[in-house]
Amino acid sequence: MNCVNYSLLLVAICFCNVIVGERLHEQIYSTIEGGAACFRRLNGTHQAGCSSSDAGAVGVVHMIESLSDVEWVVFNGTAGPYVAVISTALFYDTVELFMEHPDNVAGILIYDSVKIRSKSFTQESRCPNEYYSGPNSQCSSDGGGVVWNEKGTALLRRNIPFPVFYLPQSRAEEIDKIQNCYERFNLNKDNQKGRPLCSLQLNSFMFAAMNTEVCLRRSASSSFLTSAKVCDPLGDNNVYYTLFPRGKETEGNKKNVTLVTARIDTASLFDGVSPGAASSVVGLVTLITAASLLAKMIPPADAGLYKHNIMWTLFNGEAFDYIGSQRVAYDISRGQWPPAAPLNANQIQLHVEIGQLGGALLANQGDASWPLQAFAPYTSLPPSEITEFLALASDQLTKANMSLTPTFSTNLPPSSLHSFRRILKNETESGALPELVLVDHGEVFSNNFYHSVLDDEANVAFSYRNISVDSNGTFLTTEELLAAGTMSAADMQVKLARLATALASTLHQRVAGAAYAGNLTASAHLVDEMLHCFLQSQACRLFSAAEYGGARDPPPARPAPLYVGVSSWPTAPPVLAAHLLALLAGTTKEANKTECNGLSSDEYSYYWLRGWNNTGVCVETTMNYTQAVSPAFIIKGYDYKSGIYSTWTESVWQAMWVRLFVAAGGGGARAAAAAGGVATALAAAVTFWLQRHADRIFLRSQVAAVAGGSGDAASGILRSVNC
Amino acid sequence: MDTNRLPNDQKLALCKWYFKVGCAFLPFVWAVNACWFFKHAYLKPEFEEQPQIKRYVILSAVGALIWAAILATWITIYQTQRVSWGATGDALSFIVPLGRP
Repeated sequence: MNCVNYSLLLVAICFCNVIVGERLHEQIYSTIEGGAACFRRLNGTHQAGCSSSDAGAVGVVHMIESLSDVEWVVFNGTAGPYVAVISTALFYDTVELFMEHPDNVAGILIYDSVKIRSKSFTQESRCPNEYYSGPNSQCSSDGGGVVWNEKGTALLRRNIPFPVFYLPQSRAEEIDKIQNCYERFNLNKDNQKGRPLCSLQLNSFMFAAMNTEVCLRRSASSSFLTSAKVCDPLGDNNVYYTLFPRGKETEGNKKNVTLVTARIDTASLFDGVSPGAASSVVGLVTLITAASLLAKMIPPADAGLYKHNIMWTLFNGEAFDYIGSQRVAYDISRGQWPPAAPLNANQIQLHVEIGQLGGALLANQGDASWPLQAFAPYTSLPPSEITEFLALASDQLTKANMSLTPTFSTNLPPSSLHSFRRILKNETESGALPELVLVDHGEVFSNNFYHSVLDDEANVAFSYRNISVDSNGTFLTTEELLAAGTMSAADMQVKLARLATALASTLHQRVAGAAYAGNLTASAHLVDEMLHCFLQSQACRLFSAAEYGGARDPPPARPAPLYVGVSSWPTAPPVLAAHLLALLAGTTKEANKTECNGLSSDEYSYYWLRGWNNTGVCVETTMNYTQAVSPAFIIKGYDYKSGIYSTWTESVWQAMWVRLFVAAGGGGARAAAAAGGVATALAAAVTFWLQRHADRIFLRSQVAAVAGGSGDAASGILRSVNC
Repeated sequence: MDTNRLPNDQKLALCKWYFKVGCAFLPFVWAVNACWFFKHAYLKPEFEEQPQIKRYVILSAVGALIWAAILATWITIYQTQRVSWGATGDALSFIVPLGRP
């Protein structure tokens, strides 16, 4: 008896092992986590970017190792369409083949290989923002000649006929998973048809199509019946801060200004990953550092002593046809910027743009040098403001082993100057609004990752030193760091601090009319912290101190994406940059939280920030925000095809995901279809025979009894229609 | 309902009623009418009301066919030309497809 029980138990255990608790769906599909999708943007005339079909694009996996693999997929693959899995290093050489022959391509999965670092990876066009460039710009992406972004594939501006996803290095295990599946099922290249094959499904279905005009029209009209919005205009906020308050300036008593600008935003082809180290962060950090230093060199309380003011402005949305600077230039042209105390174009005596900096840092990381270039659009004698500024700045930089080479040409690198030169044409062409842009490249970008997911801290040779900051927020000076050997003159933090010092000293001379005699310099320690915040982790000391006071969820330990996003959904970067300006360049008021929030004045804004020791601090600052939404979306009846202002919108989407599975060879499906056909035919034959010989089975009287009916005409109509 | 069991005058009344209802822009009622009474108009042995039923069946069938032709033409034009009509095309649409022109 016992023996029987034991054998029963054994059988039960065997069955238990066979039974799997997982759902069938999970046994078939394996989700690829951590991918970033390419999505669709639209401008006045075209749609750009990617979309899959509603159900997602399905393709057979093919790992691309060389150009010949791409050729095989595109021309010879028999079990297509295929999803090409390709590393960033190989992408530049192969992408055109995919774009020209998309028929056999279901999608592309790009991964950042741990083994090979790609030499270039930029999906921006060869001439960024080409069609919104100022007069006499020479860069042309169609013809030959020198272009700014030599390795640009322009995918950011082209309609890609298949979905594209990106997997960062941190997700290497997902690539291993795909590789294993590929090697198990797909290696027999010549004999793929009819076999079970490792496949990928990419879903990134986009709601909008055609162009901005169409998608905005559909968003508006469909909102009447359902709330199905299909696209939103790009935009966010610009940030400005003035050295001296301008709120109480009266007519005839207005100070002239020097406008110093940089950009906050960057771009990338993929959603949620836009680090923009060299594209924008280095310039942004330089501006904030220089602004905070100048505020210490010249206290705002001394405003009455000087006749000149500095206006620091951070533009947003510059990657997409200069959204932020177009709006500012447009608002200046109609006397509405900044809204609190509008600036007249004639008041701007000099416009200095801190353009794309950082691309040359990697090449110069061995020594203290950093070759900078200043582009100014003057072919004949440049205005005196320009020559003075260049002489002063060059002098300051040479002291720090860096150099500043001026280039006088109307062929300016991509920068906000283009917006000013188009919209404030009279002032800029007559030389009444002198302008120049500081960059660290020559005729061609030194940054090979312009507007790319790979434009990260490694691209600007940044390594975080993690030096502690005391509870008063005092940073070690660059001299102290160099003396202690914590940093060397070759470190990029030191170079940035020196550039900020040179800039602040030059601007001091413009404001005060005399060279700066004190010994304040920008701190490489502050630069280190700020770069860490923007490039590595939002959960950092500076952002924590500059956060609004009060308990909040701690920010994630990853960098904030610097893509401008849609105007209806403000992003973190402009707020973070603005709060840094307030905290570092503002003055502290003795006030508690309620008092601080109750303060108001014509000249200043008051912010209750968390501060260095988390007890909260009341900051008085001239910093403020203005809308960075293209004039195209605020002008009534604007013709989106006119090409005057930026018209970029972003499509709405519902989901983005990638999953891996083994697709059946098709034999099973065919057998099922055949079996179904046979069964139907058999059933028909049996039914026919039964009807023919019904009298053998059923008695006549019973049949008659069933066939009764009602004589009521009206109800009968509803019951059956008898043709 | 089995029309075979209806008296002939009621058949005529029903056929006539269906034709009238179809006049209210309801071509499908005409189509049903033509189909339903075709048997009585042409296949059944002659009876007194048959010529009238025949008349209504023909009128209903012709009306339904004209409607079908008009609708088919319009649907073809709309489906092929909607994109090129631009804003008008969108205004004419109750549901605009997502993700395509």
